[in-house]
Parts: sequence; C-alpha cells; structure tokens
Amino acid sequence: MLAQDPAHPQADDVTLLEQAHAGNRDAFTALVARYQAPVFRYLRTLTRTPQEAEDALQQTFLAVWRSLLPDSGAGKRGEGSVRAWLFTIARHAAYRQGRRHAGEPDTLESLESLGERAGWGEPEDPERVAMLLEDRERLHAALARLSDDDREVILLRDVEGLSGEDAARVLDLPLANLKTRLHRARLRLRAALQQEVRHEG
Amino acid sequence: MKGEQNVGGLWCHQVLTLLSDYLDGELASEQKRQVEAHVSRCQQCERFGGDFARMVQAVARHAEPAELPEDVSRRLTEALQRGR
Repeated sequence: MLAQDPAHPQADDVTLLEQAHAGNRDAFTALVARYQAPVFRYLRTLTRTPQEAEDALQQTFLAVWRSLLPDSGAGKRGEGSVRAWLFTIARHAAYRQGRRHAGEPDTLESLESLGERAGWGEPEDPERVAMLLEDRERLHAALARLSDDDREVILLRDVEGLSGEDAARVLDLPLANLKTRLHRARLRLRAALQQEVRHEG
Repeated sequence: MKGEQNVGGLWCHQVLTLLSDYLDGELASEQKRQVEAHVSRCQQCERFGGDFARMVQAVARHAEPAELPEDVSRRLTEALQRGR
C-alpha cells in the first residue's frame, strides 16, 4: 500500500525527486503516493478503458523509477515542474496503450463562429447560466461531448492547474499553440453548455 | 456579432480572441487595460466575459476528484516492487 510517507509531508517535488535519484526508495514512494491519483485521472482521459489507464499508470511509474537509476542516462528531468514531467511520461505511456485519438488537427472554424455557438453576443438570462454552471452533472456532460484533445488541454490547465509553459511541454506544443488550443477548447465547452441551455428551453 | 463595436481601442471580436489570455493573466499591461476598458462599457462583452470566467472557475471546482481505487493502487505497488 502506498500511503503518504510521514517522513516527507512537506518535501517539495524537486527535493523528493533528488532524494529518489540518490537511491532513497521512501522518497520515490512518497512521490508515487502524491501523484498516482492525478496521473490516473489524466490517463483516464487519454485511454479507452480503465484497464488501459491502469496499465499506463504502472508503465509511467516504472519508467520514472528506471529513469532514476544511475546508469539510465534518462535521469535528467529538463525544464519545468516535476508534475509536468510525470504527465509527459504518462502521456507517452498512454500512446503506447493506443490512445483514442492522436492529436487530430483542430477544425478551421473561425473564432467568431465558435464564439457565437458559445453564446457570444446572445442575450441570456444570467441566473440561468449561473445555475447551469453550478450543475456538476451538466458540466460533466458538456465536457464529455468535447474531443479528447479539448478535454486534455482543459484538464491540464484548468483542473490540474499546470502553467501554460508546463502544459505546452506535456503536449509538446509551442506556447502560442497551447494558448490557442486552450481558448478554443474553452469556447467549445461553453458552446456545449449552451446546447444544454437550449435543450432545457 | 450583432452590435460589434469599438470601445476602449478594441473591437468586440478582438476581446473575444483575448479572453483566455486575459483570464490567465498573460496579457501585457496595455492590452489588459484595453480589455478592461472595453468590457466596462460594452454590455455584451461584459456579460459573455463574466460568464466565460465563471465557467473556467466552475470546471476546476466541479472536476472529478483525483481518486485512485484501492485495488489499482495495490497493483501499482506490486508492479513497482516487481519492477525494481
């Protein structure tokens, strides 16, 4: 059982990683305990089944462990947070599991057209919109209607709270492209919620 | 958009383009000031921008909790013990 390690309650990610790199297994265990659930949630977005997500989860942390071995030659994390590094490894593991869609190109719908589908320029009842946003089920239904790529960028930035730079690293995109993808994904989510309003009306 | 207007040095469609960067604190101060000047005097953009911001906040608030089923965690531990 990977319980939170009481020896490392406050240790920051970089310290844990350095200790793990120096051969401290407890530090590695603490790092796994800290990130296994967020990494699994991310992998659930990227894979078709819970089993694939679980397999990718195991591959992720095995890859992390191997990268920490002195002779691996892969111990260098590079730029960005430990969290982004873990998510990047997880993403590669998900690809090996046969990810649902491999980065299909965004449609060429103009931002204005997308905005209009999202309710830009339409009079709306603010109370109704507020109610809609507090309806967890409906928000999840709208998220489920998005493409995998849209859901992924929203998860990384708005749920996991990765910085733009870190999310761009995980997705292997230039920062400007990441920002565009995020904005369009958020607009499509708003459009999906808008559809919910219309269905209700 | 109907009623597209230039307020504060920006057209409504330009504000639409900048909304996420504004929310994420990634605009240069002059552009940030322009967006704020626009939405303070454009009811449509004020409404849509506020709505959009609330949605982004709601996504984080209502996210599925990051939870790992106990059996998945146990099998991960076992896999790591085997793999080490």
